[in-house]
Amino acid sequence: MTTSEEDHPALGLDDVVHQRVRLGILTITHEARRVEFGYLRTQLELTAGNLSKHLSVLEEAALIEIEKGYEGRRGRTWVTLTPAGTTALTEEITRLKQLIARVQPTNPAP
Amino acid sequence: MTRRVRLDQRLTWVTLLVLAVVTYLGIVSDVLLMSVDCTTADVCRFSRQGVLFYWPPVFLLTYAGIAYAYVRVARARGVGTRVMPYAIAGAVTTLLFTAAWVAVRIYWAGRPLPENPQPTSPWLLLLDRLIGPWGMIGIALLVLARIERNLALFAFTVGYLAVVLVPINFGWVGNGSNVRTAWVPDQVISGTVLLLGAIGFALAQRRQR
Repeated sequence: MTTSEEDHPALGLDDVVHQRVRLGILTITHEARRVEFGYLRTQLELTAGNLSKHLSVLEEAALIEIEKGYEGRRGRTWVTLTPAGTTALTEEITRLKQLIARVQPTNPAP
Repeated sequence: MTRRVRLDQRLTWVTLLVLAVVTYLGIVSDVLLMSVDCTTADVCRFSRQGVLFYWPPVFLLTYAGIAYAYVRVARARGVGTRVMPYAIAGAVTTLLFTAAWVAVRIYWAGRPLPENPQPTSPWLLLLDRLIGPWGMIGIALLVLARIERNLALFAFTVGYLAVVLVPINFGWVGNGSNVRTAWVPDQVISGTVLLLGAIGFALAQRRQR
């Protein structure tokens, strides 16, 4: 979604990114650079099925890449942000900061 | 969440422990391989060959080992790692220190001993300590603190560099002290600071996890 300077920052929020769990996935993946499925599940306190659904949404939007492999006999799924994912997260954070700036009073009452 | 990820990416105590161990081992090579030629009671020509032969390969192995350990531990914990800039900084500081020490050796190799030696400028001594292996350890640790956004490691490294650059002397250097062992106390202190740092960070990490 594209918005002009005068539009309310809330209009620029992308539903794919803004959803609580997906925002958590993107934030953790951005910080960790590369993150394992089990780590995300533990940190976000999700069931495997619920996490998979959100990962599918992000993968379809080309915001993340999912890589499946093995370490020994154990299957492991790794998630990385795509450049589009990094841009989407940065834009989301910018919009949220703009929203906070609108809500916060410039001179708080003593 | 971000803080949790950062904690899971760190292996600070292992880094400091490895650096402490190689610092202690370096003392042995420094003392044993130093060549000392005292023509008079006051003037000695010495060459710290142990430092030059020991530290460059050990540094490269140490930084490669630390990078490997970071990658292994981060993978086991389920996250990526940011250690590569530290390993690169370690390699660069190793090259810098080696080049500086070789240049000094070449400079002094063909020159006679001064008949009336003057005290070395304090700034030159400071630069000499910074460019030495112990100073270079501190510079690389500053890089690690930056990439890990680790304020505690940054504060520790500033303290460590202060100890390295302004050495503590309770009278063991000078006054006829043995040239061969003159730098042992400084190295013991550097190694001990790193070791204490390793213990401190290990305890802190244990509490946080």
